[in-house]
Amino acid sequence: MREVYVAGIGITSFSRLEYPLVEIAAYPGLMALRDAGLKKVDHLYVANMGGGRINGQTGLASAVVDHMSLTPAGAETIENGPASGASAIKQGYMAIASGMHDVVMVIGAERMREANPLEATDFVATLTHPQAEYIYGVTLPALAGMFTRLYMEKYGVTARHLAMVAVKNHKNAMDNFYAHLHEDITIEGILDSPEASTNNPYVADPLRFYDVCPVSDGGACLILATAEVMKKINKPMIRLAGIGQATDTHCVHERKDPTELLAVREAARQSFKMAGVKPSDVSVAELHDAFTILEIAESEEVGFFKKGEGHLALERGETQIGGKIPINPSGGLKAKGHPVGATGVGQAHEIVLQLRGEAGKRQVKNAKVGFTCNFGGFGNNVVCLTFIKE
Amino acid sequence: MELNIYAYKCKRCGELHYPYKTICKKCGENDHNEFEIVPLPKNGKLLTFTTLYTLPSDYEVVTLALGIVELEDGNRITGQLDIKNPKIGMKVNGKVEVVRKDLYKKHLGMIFYKA
Repeated sequence: MREVYVAGIGITSFSRLEYPLVEIAAYPGLMALRDAGLKKVDHLYVANMGGGRINGQTGLASAVVDHMSLTPAGAETIENGPASGASAIKQGYMAIASGMHDVVMVIGAERMREANPLEATDFVATLTHPQAEYIYGVTLPALAGMFTRLYMEKYGVTARHLAMVAVKNHKNAMDNFYAHLHEDITIEGILDSPEASTNNPYVADPLRFYDVCPVSDGGACLILATAEVMKKINKPMIRLAGIGQATDTHCVHERKDPTELLAVREAARQSFKMAGVKPSDVSVAELHDAFTILEIAESEEVGFFKKGEGHLALERGETQIGGKIPINPSGGLKAKGHPVGATGVGQAHEIVLQLRGEAGKRQVKNAKVGFTCNFGGFGNNVVCLTFIKE
Repeated sequence: MELNIYAYKCKRCGELHYPYKTICKKCGENDHNEFEIVPLPKNGKLLTFTTLYTLPSDYEVVTLALGIVELEDGNRITGQLDIKNPKIGMKVNGKVEVVRKDLYKKHLGMIFYKA
């Protein structure tokens, strides 16, 4: 198999975007082509979850490849729920590693805010089991709420720990121009003050408003290429070194211990093994904090901390920029935003910036190994990526 | 007639599946005639729960309580709760009632009450 490198990157703001889904996909693609100094690609993968349902746009990749005048390059749309982004990167990796293509463009794009918030929540809730979960009114926040209650009971995680994740990620997002939320929140404002219950009402008890990611539009792009192409373009050598993917039961109630995220554990293990690194080698990570509890739980499952101790590491400041293992320097899904199909590519975009040393004020010093965890459904399909700076 | 939620029991190894699966998760049996349809019990204890304040479409209520219940045979089910102050570990019993109405259809499912 051939080695695969990141030649170029691009991103849009994650927020409400008032232009068509095809353009949300095309602009980061254009930025990435400029970044890499390339004009053509051999193949295009576009990750998207809701185009058909929310935007009335099916066959997105075919529309994008034409919009960017990249025809006759091959193009495919990849849908794997909220893990579509990392899944598309995996497809790009396989296309290059196998020798089939030399330059592949991977885009993630989503335009969820075209729908009203009720429809957007309902659209994401269709990820749940249709007969055993969805018909009861189960949504992703509902599953996360039930998960959080168990986690609190079992490991002593409190509302304060959850708020600490939100405060940290909002603070990081203040230095990220492309982040959805530029709100420097405080524990006092969302938990302790008399106004806290108005500022931060329950969404899915015990999860509150500031424990849940925003509904975002946005796009991101990575151009992947062979070592040979990289020699010609003079960009930092960031290698996509490890990929892991695993699944778990569709219904959360079928899991032996519903506080365990076995797909995260397995996908991370595979990704580290393929890259030949250990969790302790990671210098910066982007985890899928669609709900604050998930950053804590994933930081344990991927192996940064022991099970049940993620919230203690958070208390000690180990996950802040400057800490032992900075998590979500971009602001994470919590504050950078969560355009579902684009999220996995957005996570990889941040890791490449960090490894290149181009992350500005939120730069993690001497970042050598970067890791992303892209979490689909409620942990039933997880893709983890490991990047290494050479 | 009493309404039930049904599980799918593998005739070969006895493993119970809820919801239905095409291949037995324990022994790999894959002939659908080899699965027996059996009603799930209705008594159990509450494993975890949440109160949802932002509801999906089709609901005309302010909040919705949802939970996962461990049934007396050890199987689990997700359902709605009609319980004032739910607590982890409390005993509950379920009834099959309307859990969602959309334009065309009433959907039946398990609603749990304090036992």
